[in-house]
Amino acid sequence: MNILQINLTIAQMLDYTMPILFAALCGVLSESAGVVNIGLDGIMRFGAFFGLLGAFFSHSPWIGLLFGIAIGCLVGALHAFITIRWNGDQTVSGTAINVIAVGLMTYLLEYVFSTTGYSPQLQNYFGAQAYRVHLPFLAKIPLLGAFSNLSFMIWFGFICTVLMHVLLYHTVLGLRIRTCGENPKAATTLGINVFRIRWFAVVAGAALAGIGGATLSISSFSGFSDSMPNGVGFIGLAAMIFGKWTPFGALGAALLFGTGQIVQSIIAVTGIAPKLAPGLTLILPYVLTLAVLAGFVGKSVAPAADGLPYYKEQR
Amino acid sequence: MKALEVRSISKMFPGNLANDNISFSVEKGEIFAIVGENGAGKSTLMNIIYGIYTPSGGDLLVNENEVKIRSVEDAIKLRMGMVHQEFMLIPRFTVTQNIVIGDEPHKGIFFDYGRAVREVRELSERVSLTVDATALAGDLPVGVQQRVEILKVLRRGAEILIFDEPTAVLTPEETVELFVTMRKLQTEGKTILFISHKLKEVMEIADRIAVLRRGKLQGIVNKKDTTEEELARMMVGRNVVLEIPKVDVEVGPVAFACHDLHVRNKRGYEAVKGMSFDVHGGEVVGIAGVQGNGQDELVNAMIGFSHPVSGSMELNGKNMRMVTTAQLRKEGMSYITEDRARRGLVMPYTIRENAVMGQHLARPFSKGIRMDYDKVGEFAEGKVKEYDIRPGDVYDTAGSLSGGNQQKLILARELSLPHNFLIASQPTRGLDVGATEFVYRKLLEEKKAGKAILLISLELSEILGLSDRILVMFEGRIVGETTPDKTTEEALGLLMLGVGNDKKVQS
Repeated sequence: MNILQINLTIAQMLDYTMPILFAALCGVLSESAGVVNIGLDGIMRFGAFFGLLGAFFSHSPWIGLLFGIAIGCLVGALHAFITIRWNGDQTVSGTAINVIAVGLMTYLLEYVFSTTGYSPQLQNYFGAQAYRVHLPFLAKIPLLGAFSNLSFMIWFGFICTVLMHVLLYHTVLGLRIRTCGENPKAATTLGINVFRIRWFAVVAGAALAGIGGATLSISSFSGFSDSMPNGVGFIGLAAMIFGKWTPFGALGAALLFGTGQIVQSIIAVTGIAPKLAPGLTLILPYVLTLAVLAGFVGKSVAPAADGLPYYKEQR
Repeated sequence: MKALEVRSISKMFPGNLANDNISFSVEKGEIFAIVGENGAGKSTLMNIIYGIYTPSGGDLLVNENEVKIRSVEDAIKLRMGMVHQEFMLIPRFTVTQNIVIGDEPHKGIFFDYGRAVREVRELSERVSLTVDATALAGDLPVGVQQRVEILKVLRRGAEILIFDEPTAVLTPEETVELFVTMRKLQTEGKTILFISHKLKEVMEIADRIAVLRRGKLQGIVNKKDTTEEELARMMVGRNVVLEIPKVDVEVGPVAFACHDLHVRNKRGYEAVKGMSFDVHGGEVVGIAGVQGNGQDELVNAMIGFSHPVSGSMELNGKNMRMVTTAQLRKEGMSYITEDRARRGLVMPYTIRENAVMGQHLARPFSKGIRMDYDKVGEFAEGKVKEYDIRPGDVYDTAGSLSGGNQQKLILARELSLPHNFLIASQPTRGLDVGATEFVYRKLLEEKKAGKAILLISLELSEILGLSDRILVMFEGRIVGETTPDKTTEEALGLLMLGVGNDKKVQS
């Protein structure tokens, strides 16, 4: 492989990484406040379709991104309403969101575009040259060259990671969010409104999952396909756990899983692919996910009150 | 001036009137104790005053003004602070983070950790409660964790401090320290509400004492004009025998024996270093010792949770060194634990289910793969009556019971299993006088029935009152053997600290 190919591979890897990263960040925020959001795969599917929808009709990926955020907030609010307002089971609510997303998006795809399987392709998407962030001074430098011509969403993913870190570890709100995830009763005794904080964390987190979904359909790819997000949300959850519920940990894990995704393409380039059973390379990222989880999950500790509904007057 | 007045407060929980028309007032600068058995409604009342629960009826007055306390924010604004029974600390946060949460020094939206640390250090110096501001709360000993809790409420300018059973988790030395702190706060003009069921402590620290029983106020007395016995009578509603009667039983054959037992702890260090003793039928052998001298590891080995590294263990003459808990139980071992939540009961399960656990696979409770819940229910109903477990609904979860009633449920189950050897590990820890008395009575009944009993306890009065023989354990070894009539609490206390072990019993 020459330098250009390497650069291209890195850029491609980042394309795979970002949806995973957004999903993982959604998980980090929501679970730091103590609410498990297993429905983030479904929220991504909502985000992917509505992102495409916004971008398609407005001819602007920015509008698509806003659509992704809005639908993320909306579905997140549903999850919050069920799990925080009514103390519903967080796993059941999340699973319901996943199931609804599968059926509803397929229906909407056929209803809006009268097609099956794939939406029409976008001309204006974040992956198009016009919407890329051009940093020509990096182009000549080996490896960093990969960063000279990236989609806006990739940079946005890095920015969100930093912002999330600052939020959780350097702001008053972040300290309170983590308190709610560790010991909501203690938070109450200190005069913190646990319900309000959890609402914020779930809805803001879901917005990130919505962005992650939109990244798939209007940045990594130029359209919505019925198989989206292809389990990326669950890989994101794995990245969150592997990253020990921290933003930078999630970034590292997402990069690792993203690399797993492009190993398929590398194998294809090296020419050993035909010797392998068809489909074998496709399962690689998932095998990697399983291996990492089996090997590391024991050392990663969730927030103490993660997944537990909070009843104020419980005895 | 009255710092706090409570007028006709009631609190109704589904099916349970936890507070029934309670009224009292507390003077500024007073240490006011509220005593009562577990489940008498003390904590509920405090949670109402502190805004965590909303009362079903009644009024609150702070500094002689009527107030509505709808949330903890309201209570904090009225300069109240509460040190909770279970600490409200986050182990993964630093001391400073724990103290400032909810009222953080900040620059804009950013948390100013540096300033927070400085503030905590200043505060800790000013009130002379020493803490390491940057240590993780989870790494601190319990006594220090409590200091962090006190600092937390003081930082918010609390004038009325509520201590909810603060001594329950403390060692005697830490308790002394806490009382020094409380007196100091009193001299600074703070008002203190002290919740407890330990009468000795209440008599030591309080100015006035209110007694609750089953949600009702039984009376308010001045410390000067009362005695422990009178308080106990008010709390329980009848005369309480704090003295343990002597029961003489003919000693039977050896039930349990171990020889040169070595046991490792979780971290792999040897915690029991060669213990040899036996327990006969109709005999209570007490093991005295300061916590952490190998008692937990000894018990774990005896109940089959861990296997001894070397040495022998026999139950009714059969080798029991490498067997499972099930086999030990089959051979006649029963086990009363102090750790009700983790070992004694399955808290989310009902009383019914907890009562038969361990014999749930045997007839008549199960037939083949099917549980016979009618028989289980019948059995549990019987035990609830026999052991006076309250409230007596067998469909209630074990977790909804008070500590005393949980312990009764454990006794009911363990003593109904066929057994001739009973391990009682701190059987009265955290219990009030009424429940403690009940446990003692049951243990003595067991002794009369000819069972062999091994009693492990940190309470010397309990060891001296119940045991026929006393073994003193220090650093994993037996450093002394004596009988209650040949020793005193002081002598035992010295032995327990490893002082003056001239008559070592090592064989």
